[in-house]
Amino acid sequence: MSETRIGLFVGSIASLVMVFLVLPQVILLVQSFTAEDYLSFPPRLALVIGTAAAIGLDRGPMVLRKAMRTALVSPMILPHVVLGMAIYRVFLPIRFDDTVTGFLIAHLVLCVPYVIVTVGASLQGMDRSLEQAAVSLGASVPMALWRVVLPLIRPGLIGGAVFAFITSFDEFIVTYFLASRQTTAPIQIFSSLSYQLEPSIAAVSGLTLVVTAALCGLLILRGGMAGTARVA
Amino acid sequence: MASEASLPSVLAPPGAKGMWLVCLKRYGWWGLLAPALLLYALVFFLPLSVLVADSLHPSGAADLSLANYNAFFTDGITLSIFLRTVRLALFVTLACLVFGYPLALFMRRAGPAMRMVALTIVVSPLLTSVIVRNVAWLLVLGREGMVNTLLRNAGLIDGPLPLLYNTFGVVVGVTHVYLAFLVLPVFSALLAIDPSTEQAAASLGASRFTVFRRVTLPMSMAGVIAGSTLVFVLTMGVYLTPVIMGGSFVTTLPMVMTDLVRTQFDFSRAAAFGVMLLVFITAILIASSRAEKRIEQMRGEMP
Repeated sequence: MSETRIGLFVGSIASLVMVFLVLPQVILLVQSFTAEDYLSFPPRLALVIGTAAAIGLDRGPMVLRKAMRTALVSPMILPHVVLGMAIYRVFLPIRFDDTVTGFLIAHLVLCVPYVIVTVGASLQGMDRSLEQAAVSLGASVPMALWRVVLPLIRPGLIGGAVFAFITSFDEFIVTYFLASRQTTAPIQIFSSLSYQLEPSIAAVSGLTLVVTAALCGLLILRGGMAGTARVA
Repeated sequence: MASEASLPSVLAPPGAKGMWLVCLKRYGWWGLLAPALLLYALVFFLPLSVLVADSLHPSGAADLSLANYNAFFTDGITLSIFLRTVRLALFVTLACLVFGYPLALFMRRAGPAMRMVALTIVVSPLLTSVIVRNVAWLLVLGREGMVNTLLRNAGLIDGPLPLLYNTFGVVVGVTHVYLAFLVLPVFSALLAIDPSTEQAAASLGASRFTVFRRVTLPMSMAGVIAGSTLVFVLTMGVYLTPVIMGGSFVTTLPMVMTDLVRTQFDFSRAAAFGVMLLVFITAILIASSRAEKRIEQMRGEMP
């Protein structure tokens, strides 16, 4: 009787100790992902806004096209420190700083350029005659865009989605300005880094890496296969 | 070019519906652009304008003043930090050129499978989290890190080399990511070169080095300029890598600005420094696009 009791006792102590050891890392991870939960939203919205803008740029008015393209892509080159400061300054009076909505809007403007660039490249490589054929067979322009153009530029859409996701997931400095209590994974890891380089940081970093890599791989694989299936 | 051709020009039915279609045709594209333009107006152009306006009102003063810009040049520390940031960016650009150009050359010669592998490796740092990347470098370059341990075990050094918390460490960390921004434009410029030009030069008796110096390098110059400009400009704005890998021993202008906002609450001065950074970067970009255009023209004049 006591044999099993002691075994049980030791076992439970051991598992408690193990939980004690693992808990901080798990909490760090879980916390960072709950914040990322919201942040999976900007990439999707950025994909819609960016794709619409890329099509508009590609097909739309010639007037101001070059200036507009430059303006729409410029957040890629602009130092994020400057943009982060500026957005913080504007969000502060309207109490948008340190809110998830604020993060979301700020991340959106960082993600959209990547979508515009990748989708724009796909649009330029696309065979226009297919779309013209659809239109000449009686499809309306929106219909041709939806049924012909969008499936054809699928690789560009997926590439844009991947880049937008990574940009948002990995964004540091803009969020750093905006955040005081709400955080994202990079900021969590960074603030624990300021004290000491702990092995748990490396572990969490490793996990983050695996998650990002797996997600990208999955997206690229699915997109690539779907893309070839459509073309073939 | 073909943008008009893609629109149905003959399908507009008569009547109200026709009017609607005409309107759609004329303004529909603007409708597609509208969400992005609205977003940018509110979260990009408005904040930047406010930034410029703030920079001209030093800490709450009502009237316009250039005091903040004056401070940039005369406060004795900011200008030197700015110059050190420029130096860092030059180091990184140089490192990217030295390591990236040969890699792009290799990728051009490689077969499709090898090319795919190399491309994936070049892009992989971009797909990794900044923090993760920097933590990994801390583990590699630290006092007890991989490099020092290996060198010491091999008996090559006595004490640990100072690889981290100095300019060297930051250059390594930044080069690691931004290498892709150099390799990709150079690679595509190299791909655009017709191999027969090089073969012609070689068949006329040029040595391999001469072919490279007189044909390959000049013809890939547009890519080199585009890539190194991108790397330089991006490095000017880098924040996290110097903070983590430079410790408190490497200070860049973005670090100064962040410190001004977050701990000294002097937003208007930080804004002025930000505007200076933007002006500098814009000047570099304009100069570089001029240079690229001139190279294009020279290529156009060649038979």
